[in-house]
Amino acid sequence: MTVAEFFSCSLLAFGPPLVMFAMTVANDPVRIIIMIAAAFGWLLSFLLSSLIWFAVVPLRSYLAFGMIFAVIFQEAFRYGMYRLLRKTEAGLKEISDNHEIGSNKLEMAYVSGLGFGLMSGAFALVNVLADSIGPGTLGLHGGSEYFFVTSAAMTLCMILLNTFWSIIFFNGCDEKSYLKVGWVIKSHLFVSALSLLNSKGLYAATIIPSYLVLIVNAVVAFKCAGGTFKSLTQSFTVRS
Amino acid sequence: MYFHIILLLLGALCNKLSISERLHEQIYSSIEGGAACFRRLNGSHQAGCSSANNGAVGVVHFVIDQTDANWLVNNASAGPYMAIVSTMMFNQVIDTFLKQPGNIAGVLLFHNSSLGIFAFSQDSKCPNEYFSGPGSTCSSTESSASVWNERGSNLMRQDIPFPIFFLPESRLDEIKKIEECFQRFNRDIDNQNGRPLCSVQMHSFMFAAVDSTVCMRRSASSALITSAKVCDPLGDHNVYYSLLPLSKDTKKQVVMVTARIDSASLFDGMSPGAASSAVGMVTLITAAATLSQMIPAGKTYDKNVLWTLFNGETFDYIGSQKVAYDMRHGEWPSVAPLGFDDVVLYLELGQIGGSLLTHMEDDDWPLNIFAPIGANNLDVVSDIVNDMNVNLKLFNMSLQLTSTHNLPPSSLHSFRRTLQDIQEEKYGKNHSLADVNLDNVMPQMVLVDHNDHYTNMYYNSALDEYSKIGFDYHNISIGNDGTFISTKDLIANGTMKRTDSQVKISRLATAVARTLYKRVVGESYTGNVTASAHLVDEMLYCFLKSQACRLLLAADYAKSGSGEENLPEKPAPLYVGVAAWPGTAPVFAGHLLALLTGTHLKANRTQCEAMDKVQYSYYWLRGWNHSGVCIQTTMNFSQAISPAFTISNYDFTSGEFSTWTESVWRELWVRVFVSAGGGGARAAGIAGALVTVMAAVVTYWLRTRARYIFVDTPTGSLVSGDAATGILRTVNC
Repeated sequence: MTVAEFFSCSLLAFGPPLVMFAMTVANDPVRIIIMIAAAFGWLLSFLLSSLIWFAVVPLRSYLAFGMIFAVIFQEAFRYGMYRLLRKTEAGLKEISDNHEIGSNKLEMAYVSGLGFGLMSGAFALVNVLADSIGPGTLGLHGGSEYFFVTSAAMTLCMILLNTFWSIIFFNGCDEKSYLKVGWVIKSHLFVSALSLLNSKGLYAATIIPSYLVLIVNAVVAFKCAGGTFKSLTQSFTVRS
Repeated sequence: MYFHIILLLLGALCNKLSISERLHEQIYSSIEGGAACFRRLNGSHQAGCSSANNGAVGVVHFVIDQTDANWLVNNASAGPYMAIVSTMMFNQVIDTFLKQPGNIAGVLLFHNSSLGIFAFSQDSKCPNEYFSGPGSTCSSTESSASVWNERGSNLMRQDIPFPIFFLPESRLDEIKKIEECFQRFNRDIDNQNGRPLCSVQMHSFMFAAVDSTVCMRRSASSALITSAKVCDPLGDHNVYYSLLPLSKDTKKQVVMVTARIDSASLFDGMSPGAASSAVGMVTLITAAATLSQMIPAGKTYDKNVLWTLFNGETFDYIGSQKVAYDMRHGEWPSVAPLGFDDVVLYLELGQIGGSLLTHMEDDDWPLNIFAPIGANNLDVVSDIVNDMNVNLKLFNMSLQLTSTHNLPPSSLHSFRRTLQDIQEEKYGKNHSLADVNLDNVMPQMVLVDHNDHYTNMYYNSALDEYSKIGFDYHNISIGNDGTFISTKDLIANGTMKRTDSQVKISRLATAVARTLYKRVVGESYTGNVTASAHLVDEMLYCFLKSQACRLLLAADYAKSGSGEENLPEKPAPLYVGVAAWPGTAPVFAGHLLALLTGTHLKANRTQCEAMDKVQYSYYWLRGWNHSGVCIQTTMNFSQAISPAFTISNYDFTSGEFSTWTESVWRELWVRVFVSAGGGGARAAGIAGALVTVMAAVVTYWLRTRARYIFVDTPTGSLVSGDAATGILRTVNC
């Protein structure tokens, strides 16, 4: 049963991002470069936050402390990615065969957000997936057998959130709208804080609000990218 | 916003370390202290257990009675299962499992003495049946035959298709842990399918398979591919000590007194062997020490006593086979080789611990001598029995003589087989008087405490512990010069009772020593030297309870540094082990003989190591006051490795010598956990497929209709796109 669990959890967590990658990123080398760069940026942010966690010995046992620093560093690196992409945009456009690439400014934001999210998702889930191969599952010392599903669902949520956050964040930076940037940081902190409840086994209390936040962020990102409700409904009626 | 901060603070306060535990530790709980059933092989078979390479996994089920066992093999549907069985039920249910092993992943055996048990032996009904000498009638296959080990289940010599682990009574907590888990998850036995269930995984993969021939070949030939050894021959060392120095020039007639060192069980590291072998070994060492005090120093006699402790006897008489083989070829003992003709009497102290427990309330310890009597040895044997009887009667103990060729399992069988071989070589196979002549070469006797069936109900098992001989340690300190309080004084001051096992063993040792004194000196002993129950008490404690005991500390090698190495506080395993790793039990036995019988010389370490008289060995031991003492002794060690492994091109299927080998293994462990019912996997699978399809549809839609959807698109890049046109086109980078 447990090998099935491994594969179905992998599908749940990485299926949607993989589809998104295949349909929007994979066909363009520049996008792949951006995505990898963003993923690397996330790794750097994580390295720095782990250094802080390691250095501050007395607070090492408090997860929340490390978590706050991790969020702050991630957002800082998101800003770094923004600066980097805006600086290199022209050059990237040049080496790309696809001259359409800059047509929507937030396309880069989406790709780098996906990279950010995939790497954070991989980090969050790989350890758990390794244990899901079995033969055992959670339950001996409490905990439910649905732990692996909820972890995978939570990982998917974080990957998509990171994608949307990057869109909102980049747009906020472009428009100098501190409201959007602030929203990203705050909702990131909120979702991360919610995940602290996982240790209590309150999986529903983490997942449901997290997905609500995800929906809100999806709508905001959609708006930022230039979509409206009207245009969406119209898209169903026009022929392409 | 404030809500977030409050939440964060709350989180910070209550999350200290709670999930920093590794996930792995939350899923699995290791079962500590279990002893695995492992695989041994002989010339034609493999015996014992092995798990699959990655372990055996099964759903936990507590087998309380036979109906549980039947349910497991016939009706249980969420299998395979791990049966948790108590020692009380083990013999009964293991047969059921072996008949239908399909649904059994493994067995976890635990011992809880409060459940009660009266017999437990995994050895054969006729131990070492196929290596018995001429005249033996014990047969484990014929149901009508009288057998020695009536309670033997023969499991130790069987190939068991699933792993078994044994948890001793000190580890009952682990069983409680499993039971809690079992009660929480597996209670509803009719609806176990598709639910999370409490399960156990056992890992005891054995590298060797098939038989000794195959595994020895694999071990030898694998050097080209991998240099992995898959099995080792069983073996260790025999110990021998002669009363008077052996020498080549002045050949003396020799009385051989023997006992065995080793015991065994189905499980790794669990061979206490109290009644099976330890009592015989302790009696021999005590008697040897007593006789050495009785014989005045410096005098010579024309008879000598050779005290010999054989090792590996449980596995088709490895030690005695080697000695008999070497004697036949004139190679044992190496200082002054003996022939069979030189042995004027062979007395074996066989299994004598079994009836001690049943006679806890009285003085008696009924003993029995089995001897094949012919016309020529009648005098010698009856003489010895009479002398022994006289000496034992002083202590209200009795001795009976059984004249028979059907001897109980004992090292003597090796000698009888060798003697028969020699006879056959001389006169041809069909020489009708071979049997009679066999008894003439050396008068043979085996001292045991049973008649037709063993009195020891735990023969060669993990439960053959000190309690099975009624041993209760008295913990009396030993004098600085190695003096022990005499049995008489101990009884007089009320420290010990006449019914104590220690007292009985010391009295038997005294009787043996006095009988031999008469053989050697030629007249009855008149002095007042007796074996001390105090010494027996200490020695039993060393072999049955803790190596960190007074005797072994004194008999250990003195270390050159100041740091005293502590011996472990558990008994030395009496299992013979593999020949490649010398065991501790024969070393301890040898050193004890040296310490108790040897001459304590006034010499320092360097002088001691420089001494080289041929008849003697010199040992620098710690001594009674732990300051180091030089001991001159006639004690020595000889190899106890079956000739099968030293003869080149020996045919392992010939059945002439012991061919037992032990498999190599990498690790042995057991862990308990909850196995998934499949609900999580189904939920994740369905949700995963749904969201993936959804993501595909949405992405496709947004991508193809981007023009119509993102109408409000923020304007293109800040930099004008034409700046670098054409530059990069021309370079390849």
